[in-house]
Amino acid sequence: MNPSIELYEGGRIALGSLRANPLRTLLTVAAVGIGVATLLAIIAIVQGLNASFARQLASLGTSTLNISRTPQISIGPSWWMYRNRRQLTVPQMQAIANQSHYAAFVVPELNEESKDITSREQTASGVDVTGTLGDFQRIGGYEVTQGRFITDADSDNERFVIVLGSQVAEALFPNRSPVGESVRIDNRPYRVVGVLAAKGQLLGQSMDLVAFVPFRSFLSVYGKRDFQIDVAIDDRKDLDKTEDEITGILRRARNVPPDKPDDFSIFRAEQLADTYNSLTGALYGVAVAVGVITLIVGGIGIMNIMLVSVRERTREIGVRRALGARRRTIVIQFLLEASTVSALGGVIGTAVGLGLAKLVAALTSLTAAVQPLTVFAGVGFAALVGLVFGIWPAARAAQLDPVEALRHE
Amino acid sequence: MLIQLEDIKRYYKVGEEEVHALDGVSIAIEKGEWASVIGQSGSGKSTLMNVLGCLDTPTSGRYILNGKDVSGMSDNALADIRNQEIGFIFQTFQLLPRETAQANVELPLVYRGLRARERHERAAAALEKVGLGNRVHHRPNELSGGQRQRVAIARALVTEPSLLLADEPTGNLDSATGEEIIRLFEQLHAAGHTLVLVTHEPAIAARCPRAVRLMDGKVVSDGPGAQVALESRAERARASAAAAAL
Repeated sequence: MNPSIELYEGGRIALGSLRANPLRTLLTVAAVGIGVATLLAIIAIVQGLNASFARQLASLGTSTLNISRTPQISIGPSWWMYRNRRQLTVPQMQAIANQSHYAAFVVPELNEESKDITSREQTASGVDVTGTLGDFQRIGGYEVTQGRFITDADSDNERFVIVLGSQVAEALFPNRSPVGESVRIDNRPYRVVGVLAAKGQLLGQSMDLVAFVPFRSFLSVYGKRDFQIDVAIDDRKDLDKTEDEITGILRRARNVPPDKPDDFSIFRAEQLADTYNSLTGALYGVAVAVGVITLIVGGIGIMNIMLVSVRERTREIGVRRALGARRRTIVIQFLLEASTVSALGGVIGTAVGLGLAKLVAALTSLTAAVQPLTVFAGVGFAALVGLVFGIWPAARAAQLDPVEALRHE
Repeated sequence: MLIQLEDIKRYYKVGEEEVHALDGVSIAIEKGEWASVIGQSGSGKSTLMNVLGCLDTPTSGRYILNGKDVSGMSDNALADIRNQEIGFIFQTFQLLPRETAQANVELPLVYRGLRARERHERAAAALEKVGLGNRVHHRPNELSGGQRQRVAIARALVTEPSLLLADEPTGNLDSATGEEIIRLFEQLHAAGHTLVLVTHEPAIAARCPRAVRLMDGKVVSDGPGAQVALESRAERARASAAAAAL
């Protein structure tokens, strides 16, 4: 038989059969569609997360080292190893600034998380306040839209001035420029000298709910806290050398005996990317596994329906065989039917899944991104599921003895 | 010679028992002949019909159809033979319920690989031939029993097969409609078609120029239809008398 006619006729028969049982078709399509939709929605959200994280990571700067008393990321119950470590000090920071060849900027960073900042009328909650120096603007890649960033002179003179993140500025001074206004943190007044440009979100957290104050002013208030030292270098190829150099400088400055391990931690933004990737990689894996399992369940549904279909149409198969259909023709007919149902589920599931992802993106702070390949993969995979799970029923149909099939009631 | 059966045996295993459905059947049928195969149920006539129609292969023996030895052919080759050489007419019509008369008649041409236009033309001509030119777009459930059997006959004719094989073609029809179908067969015979008709009714066998009577998987008589029909009636009478005496 002519293969093109075989395919055309097989497709026609498949569509006819699907039309003849609309409810059954609908349910089977739904089973596959749900699987594809789940899979695609998850992939879209994870891809969106990845894309936005990559963007944000780039804005964090990858040529920065962060030195702190305890590691920024530690996995496992190891905090007790670090709790007796001594705090970093301003002289140690100065040692790095004076002795390092690679360091372009060295700035301290003293963080107070989730503070309330108040103006006369408004309060901004959950603000991360950082005490630092002027060069932090370059390390963090901040742009100033009004006024100026804090300066080293602000710090040296312990001025209580503050630069507000865009979201904080908007919350406190909705209708006017904040520059020159007074705000309070823990009841201490600060004069606003600048407002930053919006940076967006990282991992669903706003990067604009921040404020910066001069390091020494902050130290005088929250001095007992740990601060970290940020070191920026010009060329990220020198990161390893810089890390070695700073390790040496700090060990000397902190009098660490040669036989003891470092009593400080050096962190790179790259490590954040590694940690993020291993986390989302696992999430991705689990999500894809869930989607695949859902699709397999859909596939079993298809197999079930196809077995019913073969049983119902046993006589039809007998007639077709009697009139000259080869086994292969019968196989193709049923495979086309199975893969048509599941591809239909794939198309609908793709539309629903993308809609779902967009909905999630619209309702939450998550972003959704879909690569075109993902869509093809979704539909193609669904059709493949139909093919795979259709093979057995189709083979059963083809193996029927024509005499028995014609006699079937 | 169109059909040549040489010592055809067809044995089945039913549980432990071996059933000899055909036990050494030899028949020869010429091109253009109209023969009936008559027998009681269990005589082996259905098995013979399946073997003749290449739906079943004999356990042993030789079957030569239109010059080709089909007894040892592969499944695919048999499918092609059925498509090219045989037109089936079944007792229960065996039409596809969702398809129109036209599409049902086209079906064997699909498996022959003909393009749509040629299929349409030939199917329309075949339906015209059986007097259903005005029913092409009707589905089987919109047709009477006699019309359905005519559609089935059109489907059998459309491939211009060398053999028309009818299995109790009037079994599901009232006597008047059955008579119409038999007359249609007479016309087809007159037009040169080779017909083999399987039946259990002596009255129908009597209408055929030739009849072959089967009993217990063996040919017990082969001769003019009227004569074999008489034998068959006598046999049936004996059987019912015996049953009554028990």
